[in-house]
Amino acid sequence: MSIDPALWPKLHGASTHFPVALAMAAALFDGLSALVPASSPRKAQLRAAGYFTIILGALGTFPAVLSGLFMTKGQVLGHDAELFHHLFVWPAFALLVGLGAWRALVGDTASPRGFAIYLAILFLTAGLMAGAGYWGGELILNS
Amino acid sequence: MSLSLERKTLAGGSPRNGNSRPRSHKLSLEKTALLWALFFGAVSLGGALLMASPIQKISSWPFFTAGSFSRIAVSSQLLAQGAGFYSQSCGDCHGDDGHGDEGPDLHNLAISDARIASQIKNGTKGEMPSFTKKYDNQQVTALVAYVRSLH
Repeated sequence: MSIDPALWPKLHGASTHFPVALAMAAALFDGLSALVPASSPRKAQLRAAGYFTIILGALGTFPAVLSGLFMTKGQVLGHDAELFHHLFVWPAFALLVGLGAWRALVGDTASPRGFAIYLAILFLTAGLMAGAGYWGGELILNS
Repeated sequence: MSLSLERKTLAGGSPRNGNSRPRSHKLSLEKTALLWALFFGAVSLGGALLMASPIQKISSWPFFTAGSFSRIAVSSQLLAQGAGFYSQSCGDCHGDDGHGDEGPDLHNLAISDARIASQIKNGTKGEMPSFTKKYDNQQVTALVAYVRSLH
């Protein structure tokens, strides 16, 4: 009995888009919420959306990373496009998990300063995820 | 987390705007959360990097390698021919041992024989030359067999 080696690329492709999209959505929701006046009910709605998307995004990184490790047979860095992909992936992974944990614990009680720092790191993470996605696409196109 | 988000101002909450938690409590919670966030981030990243080596090992188990990819019937003659072509045309970029240099590591490739052959024939614009004129189909097959033999 054996498994199809093409399973891992398929699983990686299937799982990796969720955290990328959710991290960007969280940045969008929380970024927009910062622009909305405090008196508007939209602010709390956007923050709630940001809360759930960042936590789901953080949880979604685990299957994506695991399937990626199996797909590359434990390759941590690699060469060329794969190297660039991993240089974006690893910091994005750690940051996204950290942001998800922080947001889950702090919930709706963040101070303005704490939330501003969170938002800045979230934008950085969303950018790193975009870079990881770009170089992942380059890997597929060039292989 | 309270889901009564509609009633609370999430950031900048204060007794004035409805969030009655004391400021010192919020800062203390944020700091604790920051420590947990650093812990979870570091453990996740460290765990993933530590798992790479065991995954590398179990990836060579028959359960993972004896899959559906077509395998070329390999003779020692075909391998020797492939090794010769490899050192002529591939070793400069992929390394003499196939562990990669300018080009990627060719050990344990998780792509089909046909995909490897296509890559050798067509190359990749700006990264790898095409060898379709240099090697005929039988010679490409020998190269694929050699690349497949790299574990």
